[in-house]
Amino acid sequence: MKHLDIAVIGGGLLGSAFAYGLSADGGRVGLIDEGDHAIRTARGNFGLVWVQGKGLNMPDYARWSLRSAYAWTPFSEQLHAQTGISVEYHRPGGFYVSIDEQEFADNLALLKQLRNEAGEDGYDYEIVEPSALRKQLPEIGPAVPGATYCPHDGHANPLKLLRALQEGFQLNGGVYTPRARVTHIVPLKSGGFEIHCDGGHRFGSDKLVIAAGHGSAELGHHLGMEIPIFPVQGQVVVTERAQMTMAYPTNYVRQTDDGNYLLGPSARDVGFNDETETTTLRDITRRCTTAFPHLKRLRVQRTWAALRIMTPDGFPVYLQSEAYPEAFSFSCHSGVTLAAVHATDVSRWVLDGQIPSRYRCFHPERFNVPA
Amino acid sequence: MTQDTSTDVVVVGAGPAGMTAASCLAESGVRALVLDEHTAPGGQVYRNVEKVTDKRSADLDVLGSHYRNGSKLVERLHSSGAQYWPGTSVWEISAAEEPTLAVGVVRDGRVRMIQADHIILATGAMERPTPFPGWTLPGVMTVGAAQTLLKSSGLVPDGRIAVAGSGPLLYLYVSQLIKAGKKPQVILDTRPRASLQAKLSVLTALTVDPASMFRGLGWMREVRREVRVRERVHQLRAGGVEKLSSISYESCDRQFTDEVDLLLVHDGVIPNTWLGMSAGCRHHWHAQQRCWVPDITGVGQTSRQSVSVVGDAAGIIGADASVLQGEAVAREVIACLEGKQQTAVGNTAHPWLVRQHRLLRRCLDQFYPPAQEFELPPDDETIVCRCEEVTAGEIRRVAALGCVGPNQGKAFTRCGMGPCMGRKCGVTVSRLIAEHHGLGMDEVGHYRIRPPVKPITVGQLAELEIDAHAHTA
Amino acid sequence: MFRRRDRVSDPVTIWFCDRAIEAVADDSVAAALLAAGIACFGRTPVSGAPRAPFCMIGNCFDCLVEIDGETNLQACLVTVRDGMRIRSHPGNGPGDDSEKGKA
Repeated sequence: MKHLDIAVIGGGLLGSAFAYGLSADGGRVGLIDEGDHAIRTARGNFGLVWVQGKGLNMPDYARWSLRSAYAWTPFSEQLHAQTGISVEYHRPGGFYVSIDEQEFADNLALLKQLRNEAGEDGYDYEIVEPSALRKQLPEIGPAVPGATYCPHDGHANPLKLLRALQEGFQLNGGVYTPRARVTHIVPLKSGGFEIHCDGGHRFGSDKLVIAAGHGSAELGHHLGMEIPIFPVQGQVVVTERAQMTMAYPTNYVRQTDDGNYLLGPSARDVGFNDETETTTLRDITRRCTTAFPHLKRLRVQRTWAALRIMTPDGFPVYLQSEAYPEAFSFSCHSGVTLAAVHATDVSRWVLDGQIPSRYRCFHPERFNVPA
Repeated sequence: MTQDTSTDVVVVGAGPAGMTAASCLAESGVRALVLDEHTAPGGQVYRNVEKVTDKRSADLDVLGSHYRNGSKLVERLHSSGAQYWPGTSVWEISAAEEPTLAVGVVRDGRVRMIQADHIILATGAMERPTPFPGWTLPGVMTVGAAQTLLKSSGLVPDGRIAVAGSGPLLYLYVSQLIKAGKKPQVILDTRPRASLQAKLSVLTALTVDPASMFRGLGWMREVRREVRVRERVHQLRAGGVEKLSSISYESCDRQFTDEVDLLLVHDGVIPNTWLGMSAGCRHHWHAQQRCWVPDITGVGQTSRQSVSVVGDAAGIIGADASVLQGEAVAREVIACLEGKQQTAVGNTAHPWLVRQHRLLRRCLDQFYPPAQEFELPPDDETIVCRCEEVTAGEIRRVAALGCVGPNQGKAFTRCGMGPCMGRKCGVTVSRLIAEHHGLGMDEVGHYRIRPPVKPITVGQLAELEIDAHAHTA
Repeated sequence: MFRRRDRVSDPVTIWFCDRAIEAVADDSVAAALLAAGIACFGRTPVSGAPRAPFCMIGNCFDCLVEIDGETNLQACLVTVRDGMRIRSHPGNGPGDDSEKGKA
């Protein structure tokens, strides 16, 4: 049985970021992961590192996203220096494009409210009319009534991010064990945990971080952590490569460094169904070609469906077990935006043994408060 | 709902299996619609048989007597009452979780959905991937490609030609080429020294199906008489700037370099499973045929209730057995549509004949084992994913990083993300990962195939009108 | 690389990258271009390496072309029509009639 200082369960965008951050501290960190054919939400991520529009009724989340956006620059530079992998992070600012008047009005109302909630902290955004929009996004469609711009928004390559995190983790001396689905966790009287996996793997660990996507709920439950998460399906359409023309990411479409466009978003409540569905794909392409008609000629290279880890208010759930304070669990659906703070701040919390009280806002007890 | 957007059974593919299944269904009064991405029925083995029979009798002699059998199957299809749509590619089969079964097609530049009660996949076979250094150069093609050019356009290779690999198709094609007046410079046989088992398999095959075996051995003898053959070829490399100009290889411990204009490669055929995989049908690794095959119960029932598979797409059995299977699967589907169960015995016409074909196939697999070096390219510089130009070395590298399956490999290297969607690299990537980790192929698995399985554009998808009836409860 | 066994009957004229090519009415676009000596149909988006048809049965996608303005067509699956204008697929680098070495 392997002994670890810290065991991270889950090799997706969250788990890999924690493993990376924790392993930099020098202790013996293990990343325990399932195999190739599991839910693997990380493979379906759009890649936005996004601040605009987030945190309605929870300004702490807006601040958290902004903090991460700014931590992204040194974070990506460090990953590049260490692994040689560029995660293609760019922060030119981003546009929330509306494809009809109602959407535009709703978006403006949302941002106004967010600005009010932010109070003296301020909330950065600009309203952009079509003629000005055309200068930044020359392909914008004629039906678009307008957009909002936020200078803090950016994007990155989620798949390269995942690879870089895992390479960096291993370069730091971390041990990655795939094909080891955790079946049960036994807290030890002497402190620490025994982790049992299929495939016969067993680990002993002083500390535990559960970041197993949809699997976190069951694992956390046995350690007294109630994690209210459920799947929301999202689909993405990826085009063939094309000449680089889109300098800014938008809510509907972004162009990667390789030249592919990603088209989204969508949301369906279909349980653990991760198959694509034709009408949804069709609707995604309709909305995105209203926003950017030039996409019509491009080949659909592939489509994808993934299951977001959604919480009742859409904001993260971060907690520490009361009975076993060395066990932590972190869940959210913004694995790319928050990767920077996960690798830095949150890893620090685990090393220090405590989630700071100012981040109590992310504790799931908020869902038990009567309205 | 217009008449042409729904049918009882969709048959994908118009080779011997597809043509026969559709004919049998239509003759029994079932509405059958054949979707064929080619412009005329015949699949690969009987490619263009109608035109060749009508207009190019000289080519008919070259292509051989077996090819002529295709005409009867085409005639049957045309008179059966089955609908036939040429020039139609299937890009999607709706997921099992959706309420209605629909097939997404692209035809004449338009995308549409066809509703059906059942689908029969008769997507045939494709050539086994053969990665080696330089295989992506213009001037390197498959033997099947050259044979298609002969069948569909009466083209023969020009200049200096080498043929590499093994398998009955290789010898058939070269014998056809010789009849057409063109001899390759050299044949590079990649098989290892024949094992006792391989030699015994020939004897077994001779007793099982003497006609086919004599025919096959005849091609081989004729070809070896006319063309130089190098045995036990290893380390094949293709070289050239912008296009092929030379090849180098090792044979019986000697090094060779030949100047060539065209290199044709062939290392057997494997089922074309992409559409079945995209439909969520379960597949497993066939250790003997060294390829993915669908899980099947009965004659052709996949793990998805309304999807059947028939012919080479279900496991390589050859054209003649595909016809028999086509009949049997059609009967199985008819019973399924009527809500009846058919017993296994009742399902298969001529069960003895089908067993005979399977046994022959097993013998051929032993006599023509796939080349180790194509399956696991030794040279790290070899491009494995042609579309994204990902090398064997890169796959080995991410396997060492901890990738235990091709989907994580795809996420980390982009292999499989190009237009071919892993058709040319999928098997190699899974094999390399399996080899690194000491895992079985079923443990490693295959790429998750998503639509579109054939090219469509964003604009075509956006214009898709989906029948209102498709979503009634 | 390839030559026709029979004399051309039912000739049609098609265009590849502005070069006129004599084809036969039943040819696939890929067959017609190969018979005319076109060795490079396009170039890969990753490294610009030259590509020509590999499998001729719609599986390798190395024969992707644009025909009369429509993109993403597999040349091995499309039959020629008189006057057809073919270009390399725009997502890929340009092909050529490299017999003459013209890019």
